[in-house]
Amino acid sequence: MFDPAAALALLQYGDSAFPAGGFAFSWGIEGLAADGMLETVEHLDRFIADHLVHRWQTMDRVLLRRAWFSPDLEAVAATDRLAEASTLAAEMREGSHRAGRALLGVAVKLGGPLAITYRQMVSADPRLGHLPVVQAVAWRDAGLTLEAAELVSGWTLVTGLVSAATRLGIIGHIEGQRSLVNARSVLSEVLAEVPDADAVPSSFTPLIDIAVARGPSRHVRMFAT
Amino acid sequence: MNQLSPTPTTGSKPIAAARVGIGGPVGSGKTAMVERLIPALLNRGIDIAVITNDLVTAEDAERVRRSGLIDPARVSAVEAGACPHTVIREDPTLNIEAADELERRFPGVELILLESGGDNLASTFSRDLTDFWMFVIDVAGGDDIPRKRGPGVIRSDLLVINKTDLAPHVGVNLERMHQEAKSVRSGRPVLLTNCRKGEGIEAVVDLIEREVLFRA
Repeated sequence: MFDPAAALALLQYGDSAFPAGGFAFSWGIEGLAADGMLETVEHLDRFIADHLVHRWQTMDRVLLRRAWFSPDLEAVAATDRLAEASTLAAEMREGSHRAGRALLGVAVKLGGPLAITYRQMVSADPRLGHLPVVQAVAWRDAGLTLEAAELVSGWTLVTGLVSAATRLGIIGHIEGQRSLVNARSVLSEVLAEVPDADAVPSSFTPLIDIAVARGPSRHVRMFAT
Repeated sequence: MNQLSPTPTTGSKPIAAARVGIGGPVGSGKTAMVERLIPALLNRGIDIAVITNDLVTAEDAERVRRSGLIDPARVSAVEAGACPHTVIREDPTLNIEAADELERRFPGVELILLESGGDNLASTFSRDLTDFWMFVIDVAGGDDIPRKRGPGVIRSDLLVINKTDLAPHVGVNLERMHQEAKSVRSGRPVLLTNCRKGEGIEAVVDLIEREVLFRA
C-alpha cells in the first residue's frame, strides 16, 4: 500500500540534495576514468552494478544491518570497528569515515538523539564513523524502517556515482537518467536478497579499490575518493 | 537501541571559533589574500587555522602549508567534487566537519579562514558554515564586475577589490569601480587591496577584528 508520508521521507533522505557531502565522493569513478577504464555509459552501468553487487550488498548493507540490530551504541561502535578492520585500502577507510562523519554531523544538527550520543563516541575514537554504520544511526533517528534505510543507502550510492560521472563529463544528463533506470533494476534485485543475520562483511571490487587507493597520488583530483 | 537515552554532557562547552569565508572568481587573489592575512592576524595574537577548497588539485592547500607562515597541520583541504558552489552553500557539511576537526585538534583556535575554490559571481557561503564572508574580485577581471551585481558582489559582508596596482595597465578607472561597487552594496564595506605588496591588508584585519571577533 502506498504510504505518502513514508514516500516523502524517502524522497527527502534519498535526495542528492540532502546535505551530507555525498557529491564530493566518486568512489573510484574519477580514478578509473583518468586511467581510461571508464569512458562510456555502458562502462558506468557495469561499474555501478559491481559496486552494488560486490561491495554494497556484501559490505555496506551487512554493516548497516548489524548496526541497526545492535542493542546499544557500544554494539554499534563494535560494528564500526569491524568496518574499519574489514576495509583494506586506507583511502577507502578514510572516504567512508569522512562521508560517515559528514552524515553524522547533519544528523546531530537535526537533533537526532542517537546521533548526538554517538557523535561523542566518534569524537573520542578515530576508528569510528564509517558511513553504513552512521546511516543506521541517522536513519533510525529519522524514523525510517530498516527496509527504507537500506533502500536509501543503496540509492544514494547510485545517485552519487551517476552524478560524479556526469560532472566528470563521462556521460550526459539524459544518459545519466538511463543509468539510473538500469541501476534501479540492479538495486531492486539486490534488495530482494536479504543477507543472513550472521553475515560477515566482505567485498571483492579490486579495480575500484585500486582506483580509490591511487587517488592521493594523482595531481589532478576533484573528488575525495 | 530504542531504549537508549542520550548521554548528558558535562562541563562548559568551549567557545567555537569564528569562521570567515573567502570567495571569488578564479585568479582574483584569494590564496594571496590568505597568505597576507595569516601573518597579519598572527601579529595581532589571533589563533588561526585555514581550510582550502581546491577545485582540481591540492595546490592551494600545499601552497599555504609550504609557505612557512603557519603550522601545516593547521591547514586542511576539502575536495569540492567539481562543485565549488555546492561545497560552500547547498552542502557545506565537509567544510563544517573539517572546521570542527580543526577546533578539536587545536582547542584555542579563534578564527578559521575558509578559502573557496575559484567560482563565478553567483556564489555565496551558507550562513550555517560561516559567520562572515568576503568576496574578492580584481581590477584585471574587468571594471564592469560591480555593475553585474552578482550575489557575491552585493551580499558578501565585505567586498575586496584586489590587484589595485594593475588598474592603469588594464584601462580601469579604479575610483569609478570603487564607487560603483559601493553603490550596489547598500552601505556594506568595500576595501581595496594589493595583496602582492600587502597594501590594504591591515584594513581588512581591522574589519575582521571589529566585526567578527568583536574587538575594538
